[in-house]
Amino acid sequence: MKWYLLILSLAGLLVFSDCSSQKENPVPKESYKVESIPTPEGLTVETGGLDFLPDGRLVACFLRGEVMIYDPKTKKWSLFAEGLHEPLGVLAISNSEILVMQRPELTRIKDTNGDGEADLYETVTDDFGITGNYHEFAYGPVKDKEGNLFIALNSSSAGGGVRPEVRGRLDTLGRGADKAMFSVVPYRGWIMKLTPDGKLLPYASGFRSPNGIGFDLKGDLFATDNQGDWEGTSKLYHIQEGNFYGHPASLIWKKGWNKGNPFDLPLQELDSMRTKAAVLFPQDIIANSPSQPLCDVTEGKFGPFAGQLFVGEMNSARIVRVMLEKVDGELQGACIPFIDGKGLRKGNNRLAFAPDGSLWTGQVAYGWGGDHGIQRIVFTGKQPADIYSMNLTTKGFDLTFTQSVNDATALNPDNYKFRNYYYEYHKKYGSARMDEKPIPVTDIKISGDHKKVSLTLATLQRGYVYQLNLGDIRTESGDSLDNKIICYTVKNLVDAGAGK
Amino acid sequence: MAQVKAHTSNDTTILINAVGGLQYDLVRFKVKPGAKVKIIFTNKDDMSHNLVITGPGARLKVVNAAIALGNDGAKMNYIPKLPEVLWSVPILAPGETKTITFTAPKKEGVYPYVCTYPGHGFVMFGAMYVTDQGMPAMKDDPNIPPDRKKDMNESSAHKDHSTQRAHSYREVPPYLYRIFVPDASPAAIAVNLPHRVSYCWDAGECRLRYAWQGDFMDNTDIWKGHHDSYGNIMGTIFYRDKTAFPLQPDQPGNIPTVDFKGYQLIKRYPEFRYTIDGIEVYELIKPKENGTGLIRSFRIPKTSRTIWFVSDAKDGVSYQSSAGKWINNKLKLLPDEARQFTITMTKK
Repeated sequence: MKWYLLILSLAGLLVFSDCSSQKENPVPKESYKVESIPTPEGLTVETGGLDFLPDGRLVACFLRGEVMIYDPKTKKWSLFAEGLHEPLGVLAISNSEILVMQRPELTRIKDTNGDGEADLYETVTDDFGITGNYHEFAYGPVKDKEGNLFIALNSSSAGGGVRPEVRGRLDTLGRGADKAMFSVVPYRGWIMKLTPDGKLLPYASGFRSPNGIGFDLKGDLFATDNQGDWEGTSKLYHIQEGNFYGHPASLIWKKGWNKGNPFDLPLQELDSMRTKAAVLFPQDIIANSPSQPLCDVTEGKFGPFAGQLFVGEMNSARIVRVMLEKVDGELQGACIPFIDGKGLRKGNNRLAFAPDGSLWTGQVAYGWGGDHGIQRIVFTGKQPADIYSMNLTTKGFDLTFTQSVNDATALNPDNYKFRNYYYEYHKKYGSARMDEKPIPVTDIKISGDHKKVSLTLATLQRGYVYQLNLGDIRTESGDSLDNKIICYTVKNLVDAGAGK
Repeated sequence: MAQVKAHTSNDTTILINAVGGLQYDLVRFKVKPGAKVKIIFTNKDDMSHNLVITGPGARLKVVNAAIALGNDGAKMNYIPKLPEVLWSVPILAPGETKTITFTAPKKEGVYPYVCTYPGHGFVMFGAMYVTDQGMPAMKDDPNIPPDRKKDMNESSAHKDHSTQRAHSYREVPPYLYRIFVPDASPAAIAVNLPHRVSYCWDAGECRLRYAWQGDFMDNTDIWKGHHDSYGNIMGTIFYRDKTAFPLQPDQPGNIPTVDFKGYQLIKRYPEFRYTIDGIEVYELIKPKENGTGLIRSFRIPKTSRTIWFVSDAKDGVSYQSSAGKWINNKLKLLPDEARQFTITMTKK
């Protein structure tokens, strides 16, 4: 089976890079294949972090505290470090040094004597509070171009408590009523910036469960958040310094905060303070528990989506793809399933690109509805039949496909079913889809290269998700689309006067 | 280390590995009479092994009959044709796995399992308990190899079918977990030492909090995730720090501010590094040879200040030090003395 896949992927790469050899190589049926990575017996594969060392080996951390290294060439695992406290992120520094985000601290872990096992564990920062509440997960780190590291600190759950001894200054002002997630030690519910000289600075607030942060190619920072109280549905936020993203608890740690319990502020005031999401992941449609956003840095090795974001999904066998554009000065865009099923497991918690351009996913359950294991997704070389990008226009949307589409199917209005809706911002856990209604398509045009379809909609409303269910649109070679549902978040409207 | 998984109360899957040193990693397990049993046997050793389940008390008879097979032994997988041989896995080469399933006898009893490869069966065996009752304490169990009676799994082995293999490797003390434990800050470190001594060192407060004798920890509950929980201390606590902070610069009562810097593993023992009022401190803790206490090795290489080590008369231990001068329960260490000293704490 593995040989078969290897041959397929080699054949695919040849097709991709050299069209003249196409005849000698069979074209694979699928664009992407999912392969499971064997893991050592006895390892509970609750994957907290994945990265690749400069030498091409995978480094992975697991929630029982292990850091293990896997050599894809020899398919052998070895133990690098152990005893960590629920590590949920790893960043490779060199072949013998990694950074690991574990619950109480960010730790630099080194093998100083070259025996393959770590012997030095240095605290990089522990300058934040923990109460012992089970939900105080810590995520990251990711590094920007200037060498700053970013970590994200989960709020605490009302499903758990606060232990008699905590680390950090306890202030119960940041507790809401009932089931609200809370922040009673600094800086729960924040994304933090660690400067190269070791100062941990509060960077952005208002997060409930930001299980995943990542940069795109331009250096924009993103974080996901999970549906819950104050989160009508799950989201992808574009993170900017000083901004507040909506969950009130964390506000009490804002410098100079003098407005009392943030949960008591009028809804309108909170709403006006918050920065809205770049992309909403509609619950039960796209993702119920998104995890890490990872930018496709493979420059085409992984297919046509270079520069776009992939986001893991915990509750279903899915990885989501996100495409962004700047509209009226802010990033917004669409989300679409990328891999659905095809042997993928649930619980996709961490993603990493291998040097060969394959996308590795580490799975976790940890009492939630995920799975255990590590898999990788390999591009076979067959061009996907998919939406490459969805862009808002003054009148509707442009859909750009990864390949030319058949005119008859692409110009058939029955193949585009739009509906729009919004999500309520409120203390309640989640939100229904509000004001949901079909939006008629009034005009369709196709570009000369048959790759771009311009759709005119009867109405466009700011603050709404536009969900598009595609019918049986075919490529010119007759393939149907790999994914037929895409959701665009209209955070801003295109200013017709600004020109394009 | 082995996994025993219960599907229903009458349906049990047992993982047994042959491991180095002529032994099975699992030396005993329990099934209910009439239970459906699946044994997944893997040879992780570098020699060949089989697994033969015999009638109660028949282990040595079967082992000797296997030796008597002589030249025929190999082709018979060293499994003699005897009514006492109930079920068996044939000889497995290193790395091979084989599964057998059977219905456990209705009759309660201790059914040995053994490797009948010539020479192995005298030391390489274990016991399948077919019973609705419990098993005897491991240290008193005559049905397992004598050198396995101190197995670290004892506490969990009592828990019927709930034994879970913790990791892909066997943990050999010293080793540590950063994990939630009671009576410490949430940034605690639990360390298991040789000689069945363990301690909790609190990275949130940079100090030894308590120490215990016996088994180490049971993390089963905490590893389920998704709820508040602690790792359970599986021994008897004999020491608790009752001071505000044990290392006090200049004079007793001066409680320093602390900062945790990490640890280095020295022959797998963690040497903690932290600062007290900015002064760098290294602390490495080893067990006393007989397991009756701890030896704490401190290094404060750059101190120019007098350091007091403060204890409490009711903390459960008696103290000896390699340097300094005791004044009541307080040890005064001049800067030169504080650069390197040990404090031995013996259970009272």
